[in-house]
Amino acid sequence: MIKIIKDEINHLLIEITVTEANLDNSDLFKSQVTQLLDRHKKNLIIDLNTVDYIDSSFLGALVAILKHAIAMKLEVILVGLKKDVNDLLMLIRLDKVFKIYTNYEDALTQL
Amino acid sequence: MMSADLKKILLVDDNQLFLKILSQAFKKSGIECLTAESGREALDLLKTVTPDAILSDYEMPEMNGIEFRQHLMEDVELNNIPFVFLTHVTDKKLMIEGLKLEAIDYVTKDTPVNVIVSKLNNLLYAVHKQQEQSKQELKKAAEALNVRSVPNKVPEIRGFEINFWHKSYQDIPGGDFIDFIQVNERYSFIVLGDIMGKRWKAWFFTFSFLSYVRAAIRFGILDHDYSVSSILKKVNNVICLDDILKDILSSLSLLMIDNQTQEISYSGAGDLPLLHYESKTAKFKKISSDGLLLGLFSDGNYTEKNVHLEKDDQLFIFTDGMIDFSDVTGKKSDYNFFAEQLEPYVNKKYSFDDIKTNLFKPAIATRVDDCSIINIYKTS
Repeated sequence: MIKIIKDEINHLLIEITVTEANLDNSDLFKSQVTQLLDRHKKNLIIDLNTVDYIDSSFLGALVAILKHAIAMKLEVILVGLKKDVNDLLMLIRLDKVFKIYTNYEDALTQL
Repeated sequence: MMSADLKKILLVDDNQLFLKILSQAFKKSGIECLTAESGREALDLLKTVTPDAILSDYEMPEMNGIEFRQHLMEDVELNNIPFVFLTHVTDKKLMIEGLKLEAIDYVTKDTPVNVIVSKLNNLLYAVHKQQEQSKQELKKAAEALNVRSVPNKVPEIRGFEINFWHKSYQDIPGGDFIDFIQVNERYSFIVLGDIMGKRWKAWFFTFSFLSYVRAAIRFGILDHDYSVSSILKKVNNVICLDDILKDILSSLSLLMIDNQTQEISYSGAGDLPLLHYESKTAKFKKISSDGLLLGLFSDGNYTEKNVHLEKDDQLFIFTDGMIDFSDVTGKKSDYNFFAEQLEPYVNKKYSFDDIKTNLFKPAIATRVDDCSIINIYKTS
């Protein structure tokens, strides 16, 4: 479901390993990432480059993770969004809620 | 015999050849077959997929079928999946042990493959029937309590014609909700929401959200507050304070039609842009709102817009299920594609009923979520 790519001093970079992010995997994703936040207490960069489709249940999980991080005074940044996924996030204004960058390198400049 | 939905089962057996033969036979009969060579592998797989039934061998190294079943029974997410033992052993003691673990049936491995397939087919059918019955009972109970997440009639408002179409995903009620509220002679409200999530869980929350929306509208009117953005702010505030709802998010489009001025005001929370069809230019224009999803933050930035419709203009308000679809390359969300598909029908002056019949209904098979769309047509 998720793979830790980098574990740096002030952030973790993780990658989602599914192509369809939906109801079937949203709960698992939420619990795994929440545990990561609790354990590492670091800002989180989530790479979605493998994700072709994202449904509302999974968006709900992403937002729940963000709320969890905000309560811990941590940031959640999304990178590597495919066009369809990026368009959907913009349509429902989640681009105002999440920090979104093209790639990991761009995200690093903001941390 | 089976319903139209593609069923998915999980086969667990350490014998690769047997897995191959059986999964091919299932595929031929239209059942998608996932396979795992051990209980451990199956448990890993079950973290991301929920099959309609599990068919597991008893004799496997490391974790045998009974132990595998025990693991499933300890997990509330997995213990309800119908489970069938597949075994060489016709040991009565084992059968009793298995039945204690709520295994539905036994199939011995010397049973001809086509018989195993029809047995599973029958089981899936019986489970489906049972689910249908439970669903009907729940629906009846909800109706008896007069809780409905989709209305059964449209409002009549001078100068406008209002229509809607709603289809729940795989006929299981989900998170979309619609309401029309005529508060007095002058003002009518149109509500379209979508709880993030699917199926029953989302459906139950629609009633809580709708209650808050209805209450905020009614209380607003008592205070002579006819501002849709102020109503959204109130709904959002109360949801952010509600211990149960604060982790549930919902989009909402709220419109108010003023019968006297014939104007519409609109405020949205994380909803998709509305499509305004201008009869004069024969083109769609997007109308976007600013507000964030309800329940996200107490300051959701809810603003409102006036929407002016000329005669023969139309407004389409819809949930994300309308723009999601699946094709051979997988699932997609494409707002512009939906607008491009709709435009020719509106241009050719198709009625909403005709658009339903010709565009929305034929696409049901490609849908991946609840679909709801409301149409406001300016008649004069």
